[in-house]
Amino acid sequence: MRRRTFLQSVAGVSALTASPFVAGQAMAASGNVLRMGMGAEVLTLDPIKTVYGPDIIAQGIMFSRLQRANADRSQVTPGLAESTEISEDGLTYTFHLADAQFSDGSPITAEDVAFSYTRMRFQKDSAYVAPFDALAEAKAVDAKTVVMTLSRRFTPFLTLTEIWNSGIVPKADVEKKGDEEFARNPVSSGAFRLVEWRQGDRVILEKNPNYYRSGLPHLDGIELIYVPDDNTRMSMIQAGELDMMLSVPAPRVQELIDLGFRAQPELSSVTNCLLINHSAEPFSDLKVRQAVSIAIDRAAIAQTVTSGFAQPASSVMSPALDFFNKTLSVPARDVQKAKSILTEAGKAGLTFDLMIAAGIVDDERAAVLIQSQCAEAGITVNIAKVDSTQAWNRLVEGEYQATLNWWYNETRDPDSALRWAVCGSCGNQSYFTRFNDERVNQLIELAAAETDAAKRQASYAELQQITYDQVAYIPLYYPPYFNAYSPRVKDLILNPHYQFSFMDETSLS
Amino acid sequence: MGRFAFVLRRPLQLIPVIIGISLITFLLLQLTPGDPVRIMLGPRASAEAISAVRERYGLDQLVIVQYGYYVFNAVQGDLGKSLAFRTPVSDVIAQRIAPTIYVLGYGLALSLLLTLLLAVPAARAHGRFTDQLVRLICVTAVGIPSYWIGLMLIMFLSLRFKVFPVSGFGPSAIANLWHMFLPALTIALAVTPILTRNLRATLVGQLSADYATAGRSKGLPESYVFWRHVFPNSLLPTLNLAGIIVSFLIGGTVIVESVFNIPGLGQLMVRSVLTRDYFTVQGVTLVLAMGVVLTTFVVDVLTVILDPRVKL
Repeated sequence: MRRRTFLQSVAGVSALTASPFVAGQAMAASGNVLRMGMGAEVLTLDPIKTVYGPDIIAQGIMFSRLQRANADRSQVTPGLAESTEISEDGLTYTFHLADAQFSDGSPITAEDVAFSYTRMRFQKDSAYVAPFDALAEAKAVDAKTVVMTLSRRFTPFLTLTEIWNSGIVPKADVEKKGDEEFARNPVSSGAFRLVEWRQGDRVILEKNPNYYRSGLPHLDGIELIYVPDDNTRMSMIQAGELDMMLSVPAPRVQELIDLGFRAQPELSSVTNCLLINHSAEPFSDLKVRQAVSIAIDRAAIAQTVTSGFAQPASSVMSPALDFFNKTLSVPARDVQKAKSILTEAGKAGLTFDLMIAAGIVDDERAAVLIQSQCAEAGITVNIAKVDSTQAWNRLVEGEYQATLNWWYNETRDPDSALRWAVCGSCGNQSYFTRFNDERVNQLIELAAAETDAAKRQASYAELQQITYDQVAYIPLYYPPYFNAYSPRVKDLILNPHYQFSFMDETSLS
Repeated sequence: MGRFAFVLRRPLQLIPVIIGISLITFLLLQLTPGDPVRIMLGPRASAEAISAVRERYGLDQLVIVQYGYYVFNAVQGDLGKSLAFRTPVSDVIAQRIAPTIYVLGYGLALSLLLTLLLAVPAARAHGRFTDQLVRLICVTAVGIPSYWIGLMLIMFLSLRFKVFPVSGFGPSAIANLWHMFLPALTIALAVTPILTRNLRATLVGQLSADYATAGRSKGLPESYVFWRHVFPNSLLPTLNLAGIIVSFLIGGTVIVESVFNIPGLGQLMVRSVLTRDYFTVQGVTLVLAMGVVLTTFVVDVLTVILDPRVKL
């Protein structure tokens, strides 16, 4: 290459790369659009297809439901259904719909509501049917009235008509596009509608001018941005490229608070637990379960993994849920007693495998702590780090002894939580621990059919006591959510049930 | 045309490569434990939902049958559907290929520029201060991991001194010259030392070659000897090395994409493997393989252009 040409091209390229310096500085806040950074990405916009975190957040924002909730879901009030009648026997629910339209202007009719519920309850690939098991039929009796018939009295039903997978979808649009196209590009019923979905990058939503709550939402739009790396998310919010982020690493929460962000931990209904397999040795033995439960130090684990923000756990369910049994105490750590229980049971020198999913740092930390705490009680724990997909499979198949996991609930009503976590006859075998107690199963059904709050309280209290005494599994701690918001974001929180129920009322200053 | 006849033969050589790669990837994925459908639907999915979806995607059939369907469709241009996104794999890849190509191209351009800026003065000042300085820079840069460089660049140039944005992909190609500068620089800092050392060494060797000595003894100015003779003759080894590096980079942008949040193929690949999104992994592997083949092809064509003596 000629020297002159060479020098010219060097000059040219430098000019190009230098022009940004001249052009001036970076990203200012983009007006009235909320930019949310998430660590996992949205995969589908169809409310019935998944239970996966980022998806349900997006679907919760895009689809309205029969009821709606306030910011922390402490109150569930009429949404699309402006009034509801429940029959004496509790088997018939009549919903009277408010005037409302979908994002394309077409009216939301009783047909659409019946269609949405039927699809959610009966379609084979509907991902989360369990809470609605009691629903037998949903039918439109006229343009504005829907009647739903239950197969048994089921008190939690009304609050469940607020959860994300009961989002109302337009029958015409779903039938015209088919499920797969609809999941990519839905006509929606909520405060925000889809503008563009750049897969792998972001979901761009804009204000729905046809939203049924007039005057709302205040925001012009929302961008759900996929930023998989924790550090990058932190950098982006600090640089002003995000207005809020989900999943702040616990040790860095204080850093953001000091910089002026609203990063105080938020109440969640999450319970982190050590799941144990009742169908095989050694955890089929109650004494072993009890010993391990008092050999570990829940406070130390909570301190280490969540920088002290989590609360050590007593009951199998979170205190954020209704009817939490406050009389249960966190089992006190007693290494000597653990040893003696094991010796009495003839299980001195106990060894078990603790399976954890590779790549989850918090689980790795907790596992190491559990290992060293148990060692002090003469229990040998072998940590088996397994690929996360495989770990999940082995949990489901029962090919494990102990593993770490967590769960949360969609409602304050604990019914679906307990059905999931400790019911042996409800389909997922007590969160795959194979715990199966007749009385517990019975209590779940009794409490679900009971309308009197005091009686439900008593049933749930007894249930929690049994699961505590029998050590259905070993709850470790109740962590909060770690999210961060720029001071521009008004009053928005992630409610304890992983939804942004205030999104239609929040604004940016 | 004679020298370029190999251009016609290349596509034929592609076929066994593609077949081999797709078969191996397919088998490896099938043998790996883990059920993509379960991951996709999430923990609370019912057993019926899972088996309904498995059936829909033909995942309950024999491996050999699945591969047969796959090849049959692939030949017609249908690479299957992503299990995670339920959209055609070709769409998923098409959306993400542009950022990866952009950051690779930009990174490569910066690398080549920096290589020339460093290697040429170093070779011409062989043994003296400039040369030693350049060699020191290269050794240092090679030892620093790209993840760390990326984070440091963000900390200083994006956060402390707000010159560049943190996130990688901007709205337009021109905006991206700025958005993607830091990721491209990270790649360049990793790649430049290798190319520089190679080019510098070749240049030094060629500077004392007999044709160079002959030129000087004829009275030609040093700069003329260098730019007209020595430099073009030194490009070939570095070109081949650059080709190999690009092949590595094609699959290796995942770290840069992750740190700078670029929605490219690297991130897609990692995610798809972890969630056992079989068809996407297949599709991305094929695309990456074709990228490597294309790179080798381009290097070969350039070699033939640069050196009339070469017969491929």
